[in-house]
Amino acid sequence: MTQRSSPFARLLRLDVALLIAAACVPLVDWLWVWIDPGSAPDLSNPLRQALVYAILALGLNVVTGFTGMLHLGMAAFMAIGAYAYAILTCDIYPFQFSFWSALALTSLVGVMAGVLLGAPTMALRGDYLAIVTLGFGEIVQDVLKNLDDITQGTQGINPLPGPVVGTYAFNSEQSTPWYWLYLAFLVLVVIACRNLERSRPGRAWLAIRGDELAARCMGIPVVRMKMMAFATGAAIAAVAGALWVSMFTSTGEPANYDFQVSILALCIVIVGGMGSITGVLVGALAMIGFANLLLPRATGFMQGQGWVTQASVFGNPNNWKYLVFGLVLVLMMRFRPDGILPRGVGSGGTGRGAAARRGAQA
Amino acid sequence: MSAAAAPPILEVDRVTMRFGGIVANSEVSFSVREGEIYAIIGPNGAGKTTLFNAITGIYQPTEGHVRFKGRPVRRLFTVGVVLRSLLIGAATALATSVAVNVTPLWIASIDAHMVYGESFPWMEALASFGRELRAAQQGLGWIVLLVGFVLGVGAHQVLWFNARRTPDLIARAGVARTFQNIRLFGEMTLLENVLVGMHARLHTGFWSSLLRLPRFFTERRVAEHEAMELLRFAGLEARADQAARSLPYGLQRRLEIARALASRPSVLLLDEPAAGMNPTETVELMDLIRRIRDRGVTVVLIEHHMRVVMGVSDRIVVLNFGRRIAEGTPEQIRCDPQCIEAYLGREELG
Repeated sequence: MTQRSSPFARLLRLDVALLIAAACVPLVDWLWVWIDPGSAPDLSNPLRQALVYAILALGLNVVTGFTGMLHLGMAAFMAIGAYAYAILTCDIYPFQFSFWSALALTSLVGVMAGVLLGAPTMALRGDYLAIVTLGFGEIVQDVLKNLDDITQGTQGINPLPGPVVGTYAFNSEQSTPWYWLYLAFLVLVVIACRNLERSRPGRAWLAIRGDELAARCMGIPVVRMKMMAFATGAAIAAVAGALWVSMFTSTGEPANYDFQVSILALCIVIVGGMGSITGVLVGALAMIGFANLLLPRATGFMQGQGWVTQASVFGNPNNWKYLVFGLVLVLMMRFRPDGILPRGVGSGGTGRGAAARRGAQA
Repeated sequence: MSAAAAPPILEVDRVTMRFGGIVANSEVSFSVREGEIYAIIGPNGAGKTTLFNAITGIYQPTEGHVRFKGRPVRRLFTVGVVLRSLLIGAATALATSVAVNVTPLWIASIDAHMVYGESFPWMEALASFGRELRAAQQGLGWIVLLVGFVLGVGAHQVLWFNARRTPDLIARAGVARTFQNIRLFGEMTLLENVLVGMHARLHTGFWSSLLRLPRFFTERRVAEHEAMELLRFAGLEARADQAARSLPYGLQRRLEIARALASRPSVLLLDEPAAGMNPTETVELMDLIRRIRDRGVTVVLIEHHMRVVMGVSDRIVVLNFGRRIAEGTPEQIRCDPQCIEAYLGREELG
């Protein structure tokens, strides 16, 4: 218990180790080019999406993982964040905020959207909430598509500015800085989630997930705490959406934020381990790493060997991606229903009892 | 005990609980005095746990009242509620109107004034927005406002009405409970379980938790210290960092009691605390219940173990088929012919 508090032991924690490993990915790319100047290694580009999905899934983890509310409309809050950021920054609108102030406002818009959806629905239980969030995801897409006087409909809003740090302006030519930016935000969100988890609100959320009636009888205002979780998740998802579109300089069409995005985020949380922050990181790496790194290479390899043609199902990675996702989910549910890294006992501050005793003696 | 002279702290006044055609409790009345240990006994299905659920706000009594410290625990319909309802109604009405007319509003205020590359005339845009919004209320536009208002006020009233007597409100008022089928937070450590029990008394909110403000550390130190003291009181200190579900059954019951005490209740409701306990654990439990009373907490317990009931209770009420059939001291109950017939008789014969 004691060595936990030493800063060196902290590096050994898996979540920290994963984030450090993620920070090394662009370095690996550089090193690769340095050793073999002719090659074009590409690890950071495919994994960049994993960072954004990790942020989105951490938002979902607050709602589904900590508080136990099944949320099937996370993509809607991502879309709201993306469009809020676009309308606040794009120069075809009068607002034209900078990246940072727009991002702050976007998270506020996320909170507002979360509260608006949450206020009438937080009293609903389990399946009903899942259906409401599912419907909300579809409604948001349709609204964004049909309000074309404001949102440009299926064209999407562009161009969008990126952040300016010091004298450097992020742009679409250089992709590695975006990787660092996303990683920095992921680290912030991980710290935020961990701080919340190991405190009074986080304990209340976990208590609600564990046994809602008992939590109620312990004096926890369940509806209010659920709202807080819901709005926090919405804010994180909105930020993830804004971060993602700022790199592409366009929101893309509303159909980009469809049910599959919500489901992918949910898969990351389930595969990683409900309520486990480290699990979500592992889940994002596993799911997106698989879809963006492994699958194209496997497809390319099979084509190179002449096993499959362009026309067959395995000719395009997108074709058999969901086949594998589905299979993985079935196998996970059968053999490891708690996820790869389930939330450990006492994740809310292991060894605090020992610490409290030490504090009492001192 | 001076309990006889003490004022009633918890009054159950002709409470009837009906579920469809089934009557679980029928006009049950009793009052618990401050500082006493009060037992509710009766055969299985007599409606004891239903009564606990009605007291703690899980159920609303079909008829009758539960009074705590002389008044029913419920949110009052104050001027504040009315004002909030009206405010929400007005906001919903406005938001509905804006939402219905969002495209014309946008065109009139933003598109009409937006010239690419030139500075935007915010004041004029705002004025156009106001004009357009007023114009939208012409003709049948007021119906939209009305629908929004009714929707907002109605939804708020429904939510308020459903939440006027909730378990968390009653728990915060000072009535804590344990459950017949243990309901601990199994994945959490013992310490965390007790800290959840302290939720209502702690103040660390979202921002001080998120940003780890100094307030967070101060409160954590105090809270964990107090939680450890409660665990020590229940004899669980050594296992503070274990998962609650890894505890043996008897200790889980003690942890539930410690968790309930964490909210510093004035009344503690224990639902069959001795169920599944061996004789040694039962004796320890009786000692624990007395020590809880000595802390100034009034104890109401449902129990089948006659040794516990007769050993610790100051007064006993007997229920059968949802009706109260007797009330009195353990000696009176032991000799009450109705009770012997309904309940004790069978046990003594056995």
